[in-house]
This record gives sequence, structure tokens and C-alpha cells, in this order.
Amino acid sequence: MALSTDSSTDRDSREKITIQNVSRSYESTQALDDVSFSVSEGEFCCVVGPSGCGKTTLLRAIAGLDDPDGGSILVGGDPVTGPGLDRGMVFQEYALFPWRTVRGNIRFGLDRPACDCPDCEGRVRELIDLVGLDGFEDAYPKELSGGMKQRVGIARALAPDPEILLMDEPFGSVDARTRDRLHAELLDIWTQTGQTVVFVTHDIDEAVTLADRVIVMNADPGTVQSTFSIDLEHPRERTARDFVDHVAQIRDELGSPVDTNH
Amino acid sequence: MSTQTDTSSNALTAKTFEGDLRRYLRGLGGLLVFLLVWWVGAMTTQPSYLVPGPLDSVRAFIDLFATSTAIVVPILGSSLVLPTGLAHLAQTLFHYVPGLLLGATCGIGLGLAMGWNGAFDDWLRPLVRVLRPIPPLAWIVFAIVWFGIHHTGAAFIVFVGAFWINFYGAYGGVEGVSTELTDAASTLGVERDLSMLKLVALPSAAPQVLTGFRTSIGRCWMIVVGAELFGAPGVGYEIINASNNLAMATSVAYMFLISLAFLCMDVGFRLLERRVLAWR
Repeated sequence: MALSTDSSTDRDSREKITIQNVSRSYESTQALDDVSFSVSEGEFCCVVGPSGCGKTTLLRAIAGLDDPDGGSILVGGDPVTGPGLDRGMVFQEYALFPWRTVRGNIRFGLDRPACDCPDCEGRVRELIDLVGLDGFEDAYPKELSGGMKQRVGIARALAPDPEILLMDEPFGSVDARTRDRLHAELLDIWTQTGQTVVFVTHDIDEAVTLADRVIVMNADPGTVQSTFSIDLEHPRERTARDFVDHVAQIRDELGSPVDTNH
Repeated sequence: MSTQTDTSSNALTAKTFEGDLRRYLRGLGGLLVFLLVWWVGAMTTQPSYLVPGPLDSVRAFIDLFATSTAIVVPILGSSLVLPTGLAHLAQTLFHYVPGLLLGATCGIGLGLAMGWNGAFDDWLRPLVRVLRPIPPLAWIVFAIVWFGIHHTGAAFIVFVGAFWINFYGAYGGVEGVSTELTDAASTLGVERDLSMLKLVALPSAAPQVLTGFRTSIGRCWMIVVGAELFGAPGVGYEIINASNNLAMATSVAYMFLISLAFLCMDVGFRLLERRVLAWR
């Protein structure tokens, strides 16, 4: 897999994403209020918080899809001015192009502006294999289950070989068992590609399962409340003592039982 | 276990088949009742031309293909000899097809432009509001003074009708493009507005655009017959021509011919639509 390998040397040292004093308000709500933190290169960073805490707004701002009112966002040292192929995005409701097959969806980002991959078809096959969708190359999204759709979503985002993968509650609409499997697969892919991942969720278990570091946000106004390093080996056992402790700690931090429906 | 599933799925197939059969029989029953009412009505009405009977009408329909008529092909100017019914149908198509295609192209073009570009929409929306409610046939006076009531004039009327229906199909389709999809496309490297239109808006609006076009196929048949009642050559003209000679059965025959032509086009287009929109 000829994905980004340049990050293998010093994974945690360099800052990949820097968020400085970012604010964003909509008509009546302060979605983001003076939010600052940074994500290191190759880090898997989860952002948790109740709905309305601006975590999705933050992710969209990093993607260049939303323009904050104040503050700045740097990616690799350069300010974000719009969307770019260096940042792949995986959407909550998949956002697959329904008129394109699995292959056509994954191929989309390779054709814009023009693919410089020597063998685009090969690259698409490789990605289909990576997300385990062999045999479904010519299926349309309507023929796929939620979990399969999101596999396509991930493969499509990975296709242009972005340095950063932005994921907006990607597994919120799939059943628990599929979600567990997708977690394992995502961690595999992340280990293989060494990408920087920012993963938004409201599920604390999910965050502790995946992340190197968890950023806890508060709602109205949306602020960063605290950050937690999760120094556990993968795969993580949800019943393990350390795991349970981390979850409890974050839940305490969030105050009221914000989310217990998993 | 598996045999059980088999029998239940067989039972299901049998059930849908039964349902289909019942539907067809009912449909056939409806037709027969209509024919009976028509036949009785024709028998009991005097003078007989007021309601031509089913048998007379069928006879007149067959007669449409028993004689030949020479028509002039527009632009080429050469003459063409066809069975009478087909000859007049061809005359209609000489203005129906160009009017429909040109109207659809322009309507879809403007609909896409206005649905996609906010400024353009602001500029033209009031104008559209004013012009849209004018029934296409009202333009007949201009068709006559600008083009004369021949193929070009009739094509112009059809153009107006096709234009608006297709305009709204495309306009609504593009307006309804989900921002999630355009967001996804921008994160995947689509930068220019025109690329977004081509790669996301157009395919996403395709179902509505095609529905608009299919609707316009039917509406334009109504319009074309209206235009021909004013004197453009074709099946609509033949309807009124026959009735002027009190050959009402022939009028009915031409009415059937229109219905048949529309059905063929509609079924053909539906098949095409199903293929193009297989992803739905």
C-alpha cells in the first residue's frame, strides 16, 4: 500500500493541525467559543461532547467547509482557506453519490483534478480490498447496508491519499456489532497508512476504543473542557479495568450522563 | 427448513400473480363496460353522426391505412407518400418533435442556470412569474403573425409548452441537490462551479429532469392538437377537417391514432428512464 509513509519517523512530535482561538456563532447559539488545541501528525484524536457542542462545526471548519468567525486553523502550518485533497472527510450519513457504483464513488476523488496515480483502476481495487467490499464493485449505494455504505465512504475519502482523515460520527447509524468490526478495521487502516485522524463522536466508549487522545467539549457555548491521553494497547478490551476507568473519568468530566444509550 | 421457505416464496409469487390477473381482468371489464355504453349510446342517438359507434370508428381507423396521401417534408421540400394516417401523423411530428426537443433543451438549460446560480435566479424570477402562467396556446397569435400557421408556427407553440414544463423539472431538481453531496464533492477536489454542476447537481437532478421531460411529452400532444385546430397540418387538423365533413368516425379514428402515438412514446421513454435511473 503506497500510502503516506513519511510520518513513520516521528509520529507524535510534529503538529499537523493547529486550532487557535476559533469561534463560530450561528443566529442564536455560540457553536464554538475560543476553541484551541492541536493534533500531532499521525495521531488518532477523538472529539466527544453532547450534541450542540460544535464538534461537527469544528470538523467542518478543519475540512474547509465552514468559515469560522474568528481565530485560525492551520494544517501543516498553512491556514485553511477551503476544502482540499489533503483532508479527506467521512460523513455521518455517508453522503455517497447514489448514481455512482461503489467503484465510481471511490474513484471520484482520483479523477479530480486529474489523477496522477499510475494505475487508478488498481488503486480503486486496492481500496475496495482494503475495506472488504470485494464482489460489490458494481453495486449502487441503495443496494448496500449502512456498514457497507460507510466502508465505501471511508475508501472514497482515502482514495486521494489525504494526510488527514476527518470523520463526523461515521458509525452513528450502524448497529453495534458492525460498529465493533468497523472500529477494528479503521484502526488497521490507520496503522497501515499513518494518517492523522480527527474523529467526532458523542459515544464515550467509541472514543476510548479508538483514540490516542480524547478532547472533551461542552455545549453552549462550545468550548474545550479537557483532554485525556489514552495510553492503552490496541485492541482495547471494553471490560478491562483501565478502559472502564477512562470512560468513567470522561463521563464525570462531562457532568451529567450525557450519553448512555450505547 | 429450506423447502418451507421455497413453498412460502412460491405461495408469494402465486399471490402476486393472482393479484396481477385480478387487476387485468378488472381493467378489461372496465373497457368492455365502456364499449357497451358507447355502443348503446351510438345506437340510440339520432342523427347518427352525433355519436359514431365503435364499429364505425374501427372501420374508419382501418381506412386510415388503406389509402395513401402525399405530404411535403419540410426543409427538404421533397414529397413523401405514406398511408394516410401515417402521413398526417408524420406531419404532426414534423413540428412536434423539433418543438419538443428545442423547448426541452432551452427549458432545462434555463432551469439549471437559475436553480444553480442565485444571482441569475434573482434576476429572472419575477419575469418567470409573469410569463409562466400564460397558456402556451395563447401564443398562437404571435405564432401566426411571426411564422404563419404552418410547421414553424405550430413548432413554436409546442416549444413554449415544452419549455416551461422542462424548466420547472430542472429548476426544482437542481435546487434540491443536497448540500451533503456538494460538501462531499468539494472535499474530494471539485473546485469549479461548473464541475460541481456537471458532476453533482446534474446527475442528482436527473430524476426530476426526466420526469419533467416525460410530462412534457404528454402535454405537448395536447398543445400540438390545439395548434393544428388553427390550421397547421397534422392529425389535429384532420380531426376538425373530418368533422367539417360530418365524418365523425374518422375524427374518432384520428383521436385513437394520437392516443396510440402518445402511448408508444410514453412507454418508450419510461423504459429509457428506467435504464438511465437504474441507481434509484
